[in-house]
Amino acid sequence: MGATAEAAVGRPRRRPLVWRRIANGSVPYLLVAPVVLVLFAVLAYPIYYLVRISLEDFTLFTLAKGVGPYIGLKNFSSVLHDQVFWHTLLRTVVFTAVNVTLTIVGGTLIALLLKRLWTPVRILLTVGLILVWAMPPVVAVQVWIWMTNVQNGVLNYVLTTLHFGNYDGHNWFGSPISSLGMATTLIVWGALPFVVITVYAALSQVPHELVEAAQIDGAPSWRVFKDVTMPVIAPILYLLTCLSILWDFGVFTQVYLLIGQPAIVPANYVMGIYLWEQAEVLDLYGRGAAISILMLVIVAAMSIFYVRRMVRTAEIT
Amino acid sequence: MRYRVLAVVAAAIALSVVAARSATAGSTTSHTLTVWLQVDAQNGWPQVVAAANQAFEANHNGWNVNVQYQSWGDHLQKFDATIAANDTPDVIEMGNTEMTKYMAAGAFADITADKGQFDNAKYWLGGLKKSSMFNGKLYGVPYYAGSRLVTFRTDLFKKAGIKKAPASLAKFENDLAKVKAHDHTKGFTPFYMAGTDWYSALSFVYDYGGSIATFSHGKWHGTLASKKSVAGLNAYKKFFRATSPKSASKLNEANPAPYTVFSQNRTSAIFGPGWFSCCTGKKFTKVTGQFVMPSHKAGKSMPGFLGGSDLAVPEQSNSQAQARAWMADFTSTANEKALQAVGNIPNATNLLNGTVNDRAAKASWFVPTAKHWVDVENGNILRTMLGQILTGQLSVKKAAQTADANIAYTLNQS
Repeated sequence: MGATAEAAVGRPRRRPLVWRRIANGSVPYLLVAPVVLVLFAVLAYPIYYLVRISLEDFTLFTLAKGVGPYIGLKNFSSVLHDQVFWHTLLRTVVFTAVNVTLTIVGGTLIALLLKRLWTPVRILLTVGLILVWAMPPVVAVQVWIWMTNVQNGVLNYVLTTLHFGNYDGHNWFGSPISSLGMATTLIVWGALPFVVITVYAALSQVPHELVEAAQIDGAPSWRVFKDVTMPVIAPILYLLTCLSILWDFGVFTQVYLLIGQPAIVPANYVMGIYLWEQAEVLDLYGRGAAISILMLVIVAAMSIFYVRRMVRTAEIT
Repeated sequence: MRYRVLAVVAAAIALSVVAARSATAGSTTSHTLTVWLQVDAQNGWPQVVAAANQAFEANHNGWNVNVQYQSWGDHLQKFDATIAANDTPDVIEMGNTEMTKYMAAGAFADITADKGQFDNAKYWLGGLKKSSMFNGKLYGVPYYAGSRLVTFRTDLFKKAGIKKAPASLAKFENDLAKVKAHDHTKGFTPFYMAGTDWYSALSFVYDYGGSIATFSHGKWHGTLASKKSVAGLNAYKKFFRATSPKSASKLNEANPAPYTVFSQNRTSAIFGPGWFSCCTGKKFTKVTGQFVMPSHKAGKSMPGFLGGSDLAVPEQSNSQAQARAWMADFTSTANEKALQAVGNIPNATNLLNGTVNDRAAKASWFVPTAKHWVDVENGNILRTMLGQILTGQLSVKKAAQTADANIAYTLNQS
């Protein structure tokens, strides 16, 4: 058989193979396409508009006239030269670190506890966690406000009754540290259920035989956790840490409603509040857009370590 | 078959278009006037709104009024969004301290030439009229005002042997000491005032002849550190420390609300808007009384902050003439009297009739009419100063100087 004949015979065989390969190769793209399209449709214009007005002197005065003069990077430069921005950024980084640490460590400990509990108690605790999760933040804030009420809040009453000191008439929102401390308790309380339930699910993936083998070899509990459990649940913990950073760095609702506008001052700003005050209260929309973009960059930089670890762990497994 | 289906679909579409067109042609052209009022009107005086709508619709054939009720907390953010979308209401209610920034921004239509259209325009209350004007032009119509009064427990005052309203601040302080001497309940305070309630605190400043800021040589200057203002702030500090709980030094009037403290039987008197009497608790309704806060000068009243609302027509409204006509109907003499009947202060001095509310309105003060004033409020500059003074964190003079610097910086922004 000549070369031509061979080619003629081979062609019909190759074509379906190539098309099949293309078809198979494009399946992941086709599956992810709807999400990408929806994200593009929902986010593309707002992001374009955000970037556009961040380069304009866009305030209430220009909003009423409908024209925002182009000022280049002046909004960014004025934000970066604002001391309040740097103080707020530092405060927010510390606030985020505290909240994320408490959420992840606390959540993991409760998940480990769940594994060891008697089934009815475990069910009771899980229901409790789900109820916490189901409570809208605005309602939770109101409950916190009642509990910490300076005149007749239950927190002051309990602490005084248990002789932790005289908390009669104590104002939990009297100083920035105390106000943000109260916000932390509320945020961590609200975030724990998600972490607990996710880590509990991850713990069920830890092979029993490995744990048993380690225990038979005489490894103490913390060693079993560190060398057997942790490697299995690590990808989930990275993911939860990443999400917690994103949520806590940009937190607004709990802090704003709990402290309340009349008591919000630069000394207790976190980034979400700073952005709100600049963009919505002072009507400096261009400056607000610049702060949003800077926040996006900062939070991306903060979570890059965890994302890389997450990707690497996923590649290995 | 396919063509037949297509033909049926095309015929159906054509028929529905024709039907829709004939329906439009058959009806009278209808226009809607969109009005944004605060929920206070919805809850407190819906009959006044209905009367104005009825009068307007009777005089404007083919027009109907769509009243949309807003809340104070977010109405400005929503209004900003409508400005950006070029879809503003035709009439908007604004708090009197909110007006200046929007007038300066060119968000409201100039109605100077139409002033004669409104009842009692010659006699509008000074505090409200001032808040409706910018650079000599009129952008708003005074709607109603609310003065600040002392709301007190008549039974507790009687028990302490106090028979009439105090004639001076010193006498009031003395009366409160007597009330305290007769009530030893744990947590009871003769007077409750949130320390950072600047509306109340600044009344002391104005009582001593002081002020917040003045405009001279093309710039705003903070005046809280002036001799008279400092005297007022010192009087406030002394009165607060003598009569109110120390724990309230850094609290604001939103949490807890003074009337809540009152309704919980924890105080005998509070200072705030006249409507506080609404919420002193069922148990104390019959023993709730009100009087005008006395001045440090015997026989005089302490000037109170005159809160209130104005109505304005957004510049982007396409129905400005109709909007003005509706505002005229809404603020007619009859409607203002109806507002007065439910406990508000009407918009003009010729309508005042000597009630405790009206007497309080005669001595009043208002914030500086600077376009960035609302930023001073929202930046909590005054609240921070008061907290510093009452907790002793800073001396009165030092705290006032810091506030002055912040006020001048904020008001002089471009």
